[in-house]
Amino acid sequence: MTAKRLRIAAALAISLIFLLAWMFPILWSFLNSLKTDKDVLAYPPKVLFTPTLDAYRDVLFGSASILPNLVSSFIISIGTTVITMLLAVPAAYALARLRFPGKRFAGFYVLATQMLPPVGIIIPYFLVLRGIGWIDTYQGIILIYLSFSLPFAIWLLVSYFEDIPFEMEEAAYLDGASRLRTLWRIIIPQVRGGISVTVVFVFLNAWNEFLFAVVLSGNTVRPVTVAMYNFISVEQTLWTKLAAVSVLAMLPVILLGIFAQKHIVKGLTVGAVKGGGRR
Amino acid sequence: MNGRGHVRFEQIVKVHGNFKALKGVDFDIRPGEFFALLGPSGSGKSTTLRILAGLDAPTSGRVMIDGKDVTATDARDRDVAMVFQSYALYPHMTVFENIAFPLEMAKIPKAGIAASVQDAARKVKIEHLLDRKPGQLSGGQQQRCALARAIVRKAHLFLLDEPLSNLDAKLRLETRAELKKLQRSLGVTAVYVTHDQEEAMTLADRMAVFMAGEIEQIGTPAEVFARPNSLDVAAFIGSPPMNLIPARLAGGNVTIAGQSLPAARPDMGDRDVIVGIRPGAVRIVTAGIPAKVDLVEDLGDTAVLDLDCAGTRVRSRVSHDDLPAENASVFITARPQDIHLFDPDTRKRL
Repeated sequence: MTAKRLRIAAALAISLIFLLAWMFPILWSFLNSLKTDKDVLAYPPKVLFTPTLDAYRDVLFGSASILPNLVSSFIISIGTTVITMLLAVPAAYALARLRFPGKRFAGFYVLATQMLPPVGIIIPYFLVLRGIGWIDTYQGIILIYLSFSLPFAIWLLVSYFEDIPFEMEEAAYLDGASRLRTLWRIIIPQVRGGISVTVVFVFLNAWNEFLFAVVLSGNTVRPVTVAMYNFISVEQTLWTKLAAVSVLAMLPVILLGIFAQKHIVKGLTVGAVKGGGRR
Repeated sequence: MNGRGHVRFEQIVKVHGNFKALKGVDFDIRPGEFFALLGPSGSGKSTTLRILAGLDAPTSGRVMIDGKDVTATDARDRDVAMVFQSYALYPHMTVFENIAFPLEMAKIPKAGIAASVQDAARKVKIEHLLDRKPGQLSGGQQQRCALARAIVRKAHLFLLDEPLSNLDAKLRLETRAELKKLQRSLGVTAVYVTHDQEEAMTLADRMAVFMAGEIEQIGTPAEVFARPNSLDVAAFIGSPPMNLIPARLAGGNVTIAGQSLPAARPDMGDRDVIVGIRPGAVRIVTAGIPAKVDLVEDLGDTAVLDLDCAGTRVRSRVSHDDLPAENASVFITARPQDIHLFDPDTRKRL
């Protein structure tokens, strides 16, 4: 075996170890979701067993159905994503293009909000929401999620907008287009990749969020991440149901990942390499 | 010629922070004229074009197009078409959509757009590329696409910002000739920014030579070449550039390397001058100023000689036929009418 092939084999082996470490919880959840309660607790763990969809039937259509929670999660995630993008696209364009006093400071501020440890601000957020009566409401949770997703989305999008040459816009003005039409017809189509990446990240962050949701939600609005937690109690953990809900909650994330894979990989490298080179 | 496209700049000043990019620029461009803005980088020629396009506002002064004051008019309302150095094609649109964009913005009905796009594409010979995206075109084809987008709307004014500088040498010469023909056949006013004096000389009906934020000279290429206004213009126009030699003028003659040369300017008395002689006007003769041939640059049909006249470097363009050898001793001279005199202090022509 040549040295080169050895190196490739070593790299593959290391990648495989990481992949297995990452895959294990997902695999574990998936397998357990198909087992009976008895099989889950069997020791040594059963690799071969008779699969059953009982857990899925229970969590979807049983007395403690998580369907309303999935709906909540969708409303929160889609609401957050739509509002974030509506505000972030023009804001990022402005930060990338327009010259205005305090621009540098604004850029720094956007980034600085990302550096706060979220736990530190849960209590103030809770107090504020309680004060205006928005605990356990969609608008309350979406508002709080916006405070994180919006700066993140702006920061991510700015580098894409900055990559578009000024002359492109000037050409559009001379061709008779207004600023808004130029943004819509010339600029945004060219940052489609960046917008896709941002949409995916904002959606995923909102979908997967647990810490704020558990504090700020209640019985009316309860996303699936919080609902999942209910299968763990002091007396027992309902492993099969927990596993089934986990798989169901992962499903949209995985589908989105597969669907947007091309954009995510391309978008991340473009943002990183080009942005890094310019600074 | 349609009589549209008259441009007038009145005392245009542009200040960027502490830097005066334009220090009061005045000129007139006649309808249908091919007008070049020539100058080294940072001389203000591109700033002038951007102010004319409406992409930048002047700090003071007035811009007039066809008798109307457009100083405060938006770029999109000036009816001006521009070709950018980078072409600035819209990468997500096909060539057809790129060319159609200005018409679409002008709210022209779809049927009319298709015909106009075809027509413009035919004029620049890219009608077979209309379905491609700009990324699939060669540099020359992209350049033509940018041209088509500019001519499709039949604007008053056609602005070109170094449009040939991204093309390779051979393509540049071809496109240069076509550009001139295209402008003539359209009868539009063209304003052309370049730092390449050869481009300006060959394309322009008239040109303005920019130096450090000011226009040094306006005239036809022949006029500017024959009678440069200042040392800077003299040094900038012509290739190889004019020989500029400090000398003493006395009794109408200049003294170079200890030898007297008649300059036919007896009116000027005794003074220090800078003598300008075009390399093509330096002649090799049997008796005159002695010189040593340092280097021969053979260009095939002509050759450029680097000569050393007692420490003063002089370049001469001679015919390929009677080439002296390197290190040979020769004599040079110039006719009085080929000798330009400049004031060493004001740098102006005398």
